[in-house]
Amino acid sequence: MTDQVFGCMSACQIREGLATRQFSAREIADESLKRIRALDGATHAFLETTEEMAFEQAARIDAAIASDLLDEMGSLAGLPAAFKDNMNLIGTHTTCSSRMLANYVSPYTATCVSRMLAAGAIPLGKLNMDEFAFGSSTETSAFGPTHNPWNLSCVPGGSSGGSAAAVAAGLVSVSLGSDTGGSIRQPGSFCGLVAVKPTYGVVSRYGVVAFGSSLDQVGPFTRSVEDAAYSLNALAGRDPLDCTSQHITTDFTANLSEGVRGMRIGVVPAFMEAKGLTAEVKAKVEEAADHLRQLGAELVEVDLPNAQAAMSAYYVLGPCEAFSNLARFDSIRYGYCDPGHKDMNSQYDASREIGFGSEARRRIMLGSYLLSAGVYDTYYYPAQQVRTLITQDYARAYEQVDCILAPVAPRTAFEFGAISDPTEMYLSDMFTISINIAGNGGMSMPVGLGAETGLPVGVQLIAPQFKDENMLRVAAALESVYGPAPVATAFLPESDLSAPANIPDARDAVPGVVLGEEGECRA
Amino acid sequence: MSAVRSLEEVLVDWEAVIGLEIHAELTTLETKMFCNCKLEFGADPNTHTCPVCLGLPGALPVPNRAAIESIVLAGLATNCDIEKRSMFYRKNYMYPDMPKNFQTTQGPVAFCMRGHLDLDVDGPAAKERYQLDKLAVGEERENIIRTDSGYKAHVGITRIHMEEDAGKMVHLGGGEGRIAGATHSLVDYNRAGTPLIELVTEPDLRTPEEARLFMQKLRQIYLAIGISDCSMEEGSLRCDGNVSLRRRGAKEFGTKTELKNMNSFKNLHDGLAYEICRQAEVLEEGGQIYQETRHWDPTQKRTIVMRVKETADDYRLFPEPDLAPYDLSDEFIESVRAKLPELPEQKALRFAQDFALSAYDARHLVEHRETAAFFEKCMQLAGADAATLSKPIANLIINDVTAYLNANEGVVLADTQFTPARAIELVRLLADDTISSKQAKEVFSAVMEEGLDPAAIVEARGMKQVSDTGAIEAVVDGVLAANPDKVEQYKGGKTGLIGFFVGQCMKEMKGQGNPKVINELLAKKLS
Repeated sequence: MTDQVFGCMSACQIREGLATRQFSAREIADESLKRIRALDGATHAFLETTEEMAFEQAARIDAAIASDLLDEMGSLAGLPAAFKDNMNLIGTHTTCSSRMLANYVSPYTATCVSRMLAAGAIPLGKLNMDEFAFGSSTETSAFGPTHNPWNLSCVPGGSSGGSAAAVAAGLVSVSLGSDTGGSIRQPGSFCGLVAVKPTYGVVSRYGVVAFGSSLDQVGPFTRSVEDAAYSLNALAGRDPLDCTSQHITTDFTANLSEGVRGMRIGVVPAFMEAKGLTAEVKAKVEEAADHLRQLGAELVEVDLPNAQAAMSAYYVLGPCEAFSNLARFDSIRYGYCDPGHKDMNSQYDASREIGFGSEARRRIMLGSYLLSAGVYDTYYYPAQQVRTLITQDYARAYEQVDCILAPVAPRTAFEFGAISDPTEMYLSDMFTISINIAGNGGMSMPVGLGAETGLPVGVQLIAPQFKDENMLRVAAALESVYGPAPVATAFLPESDLSAPANIPDARDAVPGVVLGEEGECRA
Repeated sequence: MSAVRSLEEVLVDWEAVIGLEIHAELTTLETKMFCNCKLEFGADPNTHTCPVCLGLPGALPVPNRAAIESIVLAGLATNCDIEKRSMFYRKNYMYPDMPKNFQTTQGPVAFCMRGHLDLDVDGPAAKERYQLDKLAVGEERENIIRTDSGYKAHVGITRIHMEEDAGKMVHLGGGEGRIAGATHSLVDYNRAGTPLIELVTEPDLRTPEEARLFMQKLRQIYLAIGISDCSMEEGSLRCDGNVSLRRRGAKEFGTKTELKNMNSFKNLHDGLAYEICRQAEVLEEGGQIYQETRHWDPTQKRTIVMRVKETADDYRLFPEPDLAPYDLSDEFIESVRAKLPELPEQKALRFAQDFALSAYDARHLVEHRETAAFFEKCMQLAGADAATLSKPIANLIINDVTAYLNANEGVVLADTQFTPARAIELVRLLADDTISSKQAKEVFSAVMEEGLDPAAIVEARGMKQVSDTGAIEAVVDGVLAANPDKVEQYKGGKTGLIGFFVGQCMKEMKGQGNPKVINELLAKKLS
């Protein structure tokens, strides 16, 4: 049977189908790739497919099924998956959607990716993003923007826009994104998905190209809370290769059916009254709050007195770390190398000038300035102090509540080009940034479409540090009201959309970095 | 420019202020600082590399616990306070040998802070210290205290911090592998990420000799605690010197220059000495010292400008977010302290006390681990005679053995024919007057070459010393009778002629006469 749309299915549906031999993993891989190639012309979520790896993984699963060993294949067995293009997967391009790394082929695999594969997910490809994750719309990708499956003239959000669009379009069931200031949650809200940024330290960052090392965290996009929990089970835990990762033994699926009765859920009045929060989003958050109250939760107002300084602190700390993290892209060992230069500094300058887009250059310049002698004490140091205060704010709030409910983004998805001023774009993350600053877990939970725009709206659930199961429990309660996230209408299985895409495949990737070989410049 | 005046003359008018920055590669560790790549000197280029030490996108550092243990050991051995919480920082600068384009190092708080070493300065170069002769023994001035044979100097250590080494660059197409004129450059990242500790001294050193002795003492300590092979030639121990001058009595520091390429103790001393004289000459001619990095050229015996620092480098140092603050528990520090071996200074003190040696002899015995161990073995073998044999054994080691090892580079004492048992035998032959000290040197060389016991060599060569008074008296009488004019001169006050008479007697006796007896008899007969 081949009329199944696997990318629209959940982990349980896939496992059930495999277990009862309604379909094979090979069919999942094959059909999913076909669907991606048939429809991604509309979304441009994919930068590269990984056909060989998909079939290899499928073969492994089919072999296990043939031996009645499906249970050993992991909870994500056969689940169509794809990864943000800042995650290394050996033999694939890892471009960070930058011209700088257009030819860079990973010689190793990120821990988060290998854990998803170990749990049985089928890797289908790499996903578009804002260049080096700098952005909130995926418009800064050097390879063209991704389109929101709910309205193709709107952005999917960012920076993990490709990850969100791929799941919203039902091209895959799960994708991984990374979130430094809202880059999972905001596109999750724009595309109407369950989108989780776990507590800093829950998921290893090894192999994920760093933006802000102290802020970055990897998490899943799914259409159900249960799939998100399965993914977290696969992803979470100590990695000896990332010394900021922590031992985690939580089963994130354990309390999903417990309901919210007796839970105390915080609401932050300052967030609800924030300038720029649109009426339709505000209404949806209030509606979600009402549902939770009706389900037996107690809603408590909490204050985060320093949260309004989070944006300022973020635009100091983020660029500082990015400046340093991106220094390695120097054209010497890999990456874009501008040809014909006679001295090193002019090669550096030209390669970085051409290799990086304008937003990347802006953040590098900003970080370089903010860390320079005499300026450091004025910005970086106070930003760290603000960070401590915000972390304390959250810790205090969680003395009263088990979870906080807030908006994700001030508005629904906007049209391409609607926001051209960078500082206005930065405001997209006004409700998400403080969570990265404090290190807590946060997620976007879809609560239907906005009354005015008719586009998806998510509410943000924010957990105490290393209590990510709290927000999943609340999310599951909301899911019982709103239902799982739907696939965007135009991409539903019954839709007749045709938008073929000519996506490069990783089998054509030529490794650029061979360990032990003299670094050759590739233009 | 050539130095017109001697160092000592210059140091009469000028006070030199010297601080050292000493890098040691932790060569005795198995793996690199932040990854599991093997540490191996001389492997094929880029064979010990991985995503972490190549700085590939997405790779993260994980600190090497054994390296932290090494630096704590170094701190404890140099009287530092061990900081229980310190952090790694990123030092940002771009250069192709630095894969991440930042070096992971430490910030204001390093693992080891506020240490010191006390130097015994007593060789001929002790007089480099200004007006040392104006001090009475036991008297203190500045950071020194006068001793019998020189002085003791207290040198502060600001800090020892942990960092990683860069890759190694080879420049091709230019002259002598230098970057100037090169057509292209190759980078070997095997060295990238090698654990490195940097010790920074306070500006407490005042003479090149003190700097040399500090480096020497530190090297002995690092070798004793086993954290590095400390090869100055291969660059696993490297020293930069900061030097400035100020007029005697002035409080303000002058402008300093940073000196590089001082890859031996001699180069360290001579480079600093040259630079002090150069600065004095510039200043005396009304010129100005520029803050610059200078390269010591030992063949031309001068320092040359590498680069001028018009403004301080801005490395944009900030805390490394990929590494959490590093906490050291009391248990960890104590477990490292328990591994601290006897340090050279303590060993010297013990030798002096247990074997009635002078402080000078004891210190020279412990200069090398192997000579110290050799001496110790000899004392065990000497048993009850240890107290009487310690001094001649010490002399033998400090003079003959050291000279032999210096002359035969690369030779390890343990691999030679000279064993502690043979050493004891040799000094016993000397002590009971069987052979003279001159003969002893010959026997020492013969042992090394022929691999026989000293007694067998003495026997085979018929070298036994004649101590029979009757036989010697006959020779003495003969010599005196043959040189009546010299006898007259001697009696007229030219007592230096005693050497001539001894020499004549020895010649008669083919070198086998006991010089002590000859001297005694000559003295008696000439009086």
